[in-house]
Amino acid sequence: MTSPILSAKHISKYYGSGHTKVRAVNDVSLEIQPGELMLIMGPSGSGKTTLLSMLGGLLKPSAGDIEIEGMNITQLKEAALPNIRALKIGFIFQAFNLLEALTVEENILFPAQLRKDKMHSAKQRANQLIQQLKLEHRRSALPQTLSGGEKQRVAIARALINEPRLILADEPTGNLDSQTGQEVMMILHDIARDHGYAVVMVTHDPRVEDIADRIMWLEDGALHDRKSETHQWTSDPVCGMRVDEWKADIKAEYNDATYIFCSQRCKQRFEKNPVQYVRNNK
Amino acid sequence: MFQWAWKSLAKQPGSLTASALGIAFAFILVIFFDAVWQGESEQVVAYPENIKPDVWVMQSGVSNMHMAMSFVWDWKADKIASMPGVKQVTPILYLNNVIVAGDTKMFAFIVGLLPDAQRAGPWSMSAGRQLENPGEVIIPAVLSELTGTGMGDQLRITDKNFTVVGLSSGTYSSANTVLFVPFKDLEDILSSSGTYSYLLVDADDGIDAQTLATQISNEVEKVNALTHDDFIKNDFALASQMGMEIIVMMTVICSVLAALIVAFTAYSLVMRKRQEIAIIKALGVNNSLIFYAAMLQTGLVTLYGFVIAVVFALFVIPYVPLLVPQLTLIVSMDSLLQLGVIALVVAISGALLPTHLVLRLDPATAFQV
Repeated sequence: MTSPILSAKHISKYYGSGHTKVRAVNDVSLEIQPGELMLIMGPSGSGKTTLLSMLGGLLKPSAGDIEIEGMNITQLKEAALPNIRALKIGFIFQAFNLLEALTVEENILFPAQLRKDKMHSAKQRANQLIQQLKLEHRRSALPQTLSGGEKQRVAIARALINEPRLILADEPTGNLDSQTGQEVMMILHDIARDHGYAVVMVTHDPRVEDIADRIMWLEDGALHDRKSETHQWTSDPVCGMRVDEWKADIKAEYNDATYIFCSQRCKQRFEKNPVQYVRNNK
Repeated sequence: MFQWAWKSLAKQPGSLTASALGIAFAFILVIFFDAVWQGESEQVVAYPENIKPDVWVMQSGVSNMHMAMSFVWDWKADKIASMPGVKQVTPILYLNNVIVAGDTKMFAFIVGLLPDAQRAGPWSMSAGRQLENPGEVIIPAVLSELTGTGMGDQLRITDKNFTVVGLSSGTYSSANTVLFVPFKDLEDILSSSGTYSYLLVDADDGIDAQTLATQISNEVEKVNALTHDDFIKNDFALASQMGMEIIVMMTVICSVLAALIVAFTAYSLVMRKRQEIAIIKALGVNNSLIFYAAMLQTGLVTLYGFVIAVVFALFVIPYVPLLVPQLTLIVSMDSLLQLGVIALVVAISGALLPTHLVLRLDPATAFQV
């Protein structure tokens, strides 16, 4: 077995102290291997972005250790972290976060300027990435003239320019329509599979689950392993809330069909007047 | 990184130009005050500078002309005239006093000229003639324009009226307005006889002015003889001393103003670009590089302002005296170089203000949508 690119051991992040102490992330451990695409899912406010910030060396954990390619970044001084981020991690953001004044090519090359020794080869690599991500015709365009999908492809190219082995993506499909989101997901899938990058992705998007190797569920700061095959989403016919068909235990039969509910209250309402909800549902 | 700094700045040409104009305004004030000071300082010594004898002789203990008073017995002029190496001695009487021209009262320097004086009179006339009769006066053309006192009009010095017969050029400034009257008339005003104020000594060809000055000081009692260069230096130093404090204060105020504008520009640039700075921090740019980029931006804005100010100084300020004739403005290369140094200090100090903002900016905010 190869050594993990990223290894987090018992990391926690607390805010405040005493009675006001909040555990944003609580005793999380994870490892990710080269070529692996890991999803971190969970409800809003569950600590996903806090976890991703810690994994990316943007936020110091209150406890625990994070190793990137064997280097414990939690023990490094603050001043050493920018270099780690520049060389070992590629970031992809939900809001794309391109630099507005720079062209597509300049945005892609921006992180490469932080390692001047490789500037010449970075230009060649930028050309490859521009071709690979189908951005040739937009090379000199400014971000404001790009579509959402193009912006995210530029952000992916920027994340890859320094050839870091770890890619951290925060809701990369969050601002994209479904088709564009699918394209972006396939690009991330390919860079993990074909090029051996380790990709950690925070997302709410259930469509992404199909291409993930591993899905982790973060709730109330705690992380749990969860296989993608273990759920099937459907809607509660009364309130419309999304519920996991395979995990649900509040069900009712009506006219040879099974209906699944988020709560007993919705089930009781349904049973009082099923026709209303079945009709509404149609 | 520096490409980002430059392009971010250039992407908002409106705010860049507005900031540069603000800085340029402060710099123009610095240049303007310096030009006024330089001009007035030059004008203070305009009379001795244009008359330019080899040696100035005055009462012992006096070493300049501006705001000074000197008395030298007439026999000393004769003694000096007979000394070897002396080609010519031109005595003048000199008085600092208030004159009344039309409804205007102003301070002036009045030079009394002997009828046969070969030098010591106005060096450039714009109208009229030289003095020929008692009760006549030659006044600066600018004074004539400002007070409406023209040729043939009356002008009063102490209790004596004079008739304007000539208008001179280059003899007016707010600090030093020079009028010429007949020697006898000024003698009357001063109630003096047998004395001069200054002796303008010309040396024979090949005679060193310094040697002659030393010789006069040694051989004629109770006089001070100075070469023209030393005399001018003393006068200029006194003039500089008189205006220097105000000019230094104005320069400091305008420089602080420029630094505040630069600081505000840098601060607003950082505030506007907070999200992008968080992004570049997340991407691995360290604080010092961001600081250098901020420094580059303030440097460029300051340079832009500096260039506007210098262009203004070179192409506009020289024409201001055409509109305001009482002003004498001199923009020297030295003062522009001095402004360059001020601009550098302003750019650096202005860039320091937003440093704490950059340092405190959390790169994790790059994840905020």
